Order: sequence, then C-alpha cells, then structure tokens
Amino acid sequence: MITVKDLHKKFGSNEVLKGIDCHVDEQEVVCLIGPSGSGKSTFLRCLNGLETATSGTIEVNGHTITDKKTNVNVVRQQVGMVFQHFNLFPHLKVVDNVMLAPVKVGRTSKGEARAKAAALLDKVGLADKTNAYPGSLSGGQQQRVAIARALAMNPAVMLFDEPTSALDPEIVGEVLAVMKDLAREGMTMVVVTHEMGFAREVGDRAVFMDGGVIVEQGPPSQVFGDPQHTRTQNFLSKVL
Amino acid sequence: MLRSFNWLDLESLLRGAVWTIVLCVTAGVAGTVLGLLLGIASSSPSRVARWVASTYVLIIRGIPLLVIVFFAYFGIPLMFPDIDLSAFLTAVIALTVFATAYMAEIFRGSINAVPHGQTEAAQALGLNYARRLRFVVLPQAMRIAVPPGIGFLIALIKDSSLVTVIGFVELTRSGTTISNLTAEPILTYSVVAVLYFVICYGVSRLGSWYENRSGSRMDTTEAENQPHALQLEGV
Repeated sequence: MITVKDLHKKFGSNEVLKGIDCHVDEQEVVCLIGPSGSGKSTFLRCLNGLETATSGTIEVNGHTITDKKTNVNVVRQQVGMVFQHFNLFPHLKVVDNVMLAPVKVGRTSKGEARAKAAALLDKVGLADKTNAYPGSLSGGQQQRVAIARALAMNPAVMLFDEPTSALDPEIVGEVLAVMKDLAREGMTMVVVTHEMGFAREVGDRAVFMDGGVIVEQGPPSQVFGDPQHTRTQNFLSKVL
Repeated sequence: MLRSFNWLDLESLLRGAVWTIVLCVTAGVAGTVLGLLLGIASSSPSRVARWVASTYVLIIRGIPLLVIVFFAYFGIPLMFPDIDLSAFLTAVIALTVFATAYMAEIFRGSINAVPHGQTEAAQALGLNYARRLRFVVLPQAMRIAVPPGIGFLIALIKDSSLVTVIGFVELTRSGTTISNLTAEPILTYSVVAVLYFVICYGVSRLGSWYENRSGSRMDTTEAENQPHALQLEGV
C-alpha cells in the first residue's frame, strides 16, 4: 500500500528526515512514536505530498508521488488525513464540510454525497450535528467530523497526525474509539501518536523514530515490552 | 448678485450627493472586483503574478489621488484621441485605478490571514488551487476583508471630492457653487457635511450588518433551519 525508499527531507540546511525506508501493508495499522522533533509528522506529511521530499521515493496505492509527473491531487483523493488541530472549514456546516470534496472533486451528485455524509456522521456518532457549524462543537466532536470528512472520499489509506494531542484528556477516548472502529474494519492507517495505549492495543506495528531515522520497529508488544535500542528504552521509560 | 439659501439650493446639493453616490458605487464596485483579482494574484504561487500585482500597488499607492485624477484627465485624451470621455467616466477611471491598489492590499492581507491549516486541509482532500481558493480560502478571507474594506470605501467617498478639479459636479462642487452664489458658506457646507455623513453612515451600517450576519453564523449558532451556506452549483 505504501512503500518508502531512502526518504530525505531538508528544510534549508536542517535535515529532518535522514533516510527512511518503510513499507505499510494493506489493512495494516502503523503507529509512529518518538520524541518531538524526531520527524514523525514530517514523514507523515510527505506521504500525501503536503511536504515535498528532498530525495527518495514514495509510492502510495500504486502512485509514485515523488515523481513530478504524478498529479498529487489524484493521490490525495485516495489518502485521507486528520490533523492535530482538526482544520474544519468554519464557514461551512458540518454536513457541508463532509460533502465538499466528494461534490467538488469526486464529481458525486449532491444527493448521493449528502446520503454518504449522513451515514459517515452517524458512524462517528454525530448524526445530530449535521447542520451545526464547527465553532459550536467541542474539540472531540470536531475531530470526529474531521475523520468523517477524510473518509468521505473513500480513501485507501488514512493518515493521522497526532489526532488527540489538542484534546482534553476526558474526550480523547471518543476519538480513539472511532479510530479503533476504523482499524477493525480493515482500514490501512498510519498514526502519529503519543497515545501509547492506543499504539499497543490497536497498532499492528509500532515504529519508533528519533533524529530523523527509524530506530526500531516491530509488533507493539515487542517494541513496548522488550525495546532493543537504548534510545527507545529511554523514550519509553519517560512516557510510560 | 447675492441671494439667500433656498429650497432649490438644497435640491441641487441632493443632486450632487446622488452623483457622489453613483461615482463611488461605480468606482467602489470596479475597484473591489479588480482589487480582488490583484489580491489573489499577489498571494498566488506565480512569481510573475505576484510581481505584477505588487508593482501596481507600489506605484499607485505612491501617487496622490489628485495627481491620478489629472493623469486621467489629460492622459486618456492623449492616448486615445478618438474617444470623447465625459468628466464622469474620467472620474470613475481615476477613482477605480486608485481604489484597486488599496483593495488589492486589503484582499492580499485577508487571504494571508486565513490560517494555513485551512489550505492544508483542503489540499489533503485533493482540492486543486482554484477550488481551494473558491470554496475554502476566499469565503473566509471575504469576512476578514469587510472591516478594512468598509473603512477604505468611506475614505474613498470623502476623497471623491477631489474630482471637482476636472469639472465633475458632485456634492462638494455643488456646495462650492451654491456657497459662492449665496455667500452663506457655513450653512452650505454644513448641509454638505451632513450629506457626506449620511452617506458614510449608511455604508458603515451596511458593513456592520454583514459582519454580524456572517460572524454569528460561524461562531456558535447551530442554525438548524438556515438554508445551506455552501452553494453547490457553479465552478
């Protein structure tokens, strides 16, 4: 589903990613963990072209997005993304947030898109907020709308960039529950997270990044239970 | 011969006020539309478009409106000797050229004030540049542009009195004529001032109305019964 080879990313002279090789299988849930500044978010943003790779290749769902000839907008329609700060469109109602891409990009009819949006909002438990504006929702509700919006294009992969970091502790659970459901349904997911419980319980694989490289990866039980590298051990001893 | 201020004078001042309104609405609308295009250009990824827009703004903002009016008055007949331009059209052109530069800056600032996360969310959904602009960035930028835009239009209404120098009869010019005929400058110019105030007050109210309408909708209202904000036709 996703294949990354020798990915480098520089911001000016600052090299944030120093050669990442990674493969994500279909239906796999991969959790990226690591200290801040380790490059996890940058790596994730490279996967849908929000950051342009300095060198290396990224193949997503059969498209090589590092190839200049690839239409990045076509790839993005197959890759859903959820942001730390939700980034809902404040001038549009919840339902219009969800319908925007299918109608404007996917050429879906309005009625069809509305039905799909209603189903997705029901799925994330917000059927009663269809006609509300994002500003009237709590953070957890906004993030669930953002997930519904990302799902509206029927993506093959979902990317999550610290989806619960901006939420109050007591509402983190409602967002994680939605993500858990998605994983159970077989969605391919790449999740940058500080929720070690989620990574351990839901993830098929945990990837520990530090200093722009993948230090260690494997089944969560192994990475969390028996980390091989000192850097991983240090990090986990601080966060667990 | 001097005579006293009478009802007919009031009528011609009102007529002058109507011309001021017509002049400012025409130049204001044209300047807003052209300013929006230049504002989009100056916030666009194209270096050429940005250069064209910023050069225009730099030049026009560096020239007094009065000088622009003179350029229009003397320059247009030189460039197009076959066209016989009325004083009104000359005034409209001068004010539009002027307003475009200021509105372009207001729109550029408003577009840049829309949080970058909005653009990223739209990008992540696969919207191309034109659609991001049309459906995500501009609707939000428009709201940000209203207060400074209204402020500029009010200034434009008052600055429009400068076009009297090319003989166009609007509110200030009517006042000058009547003041000379009646030798009652204080009374005449008081009426002129009140008429300007009423016009500007109206524009102010229009601005606050628009802000309240769009602001309250976005912030907290659930607005279950309002018609859909998103126009799904077009583009």
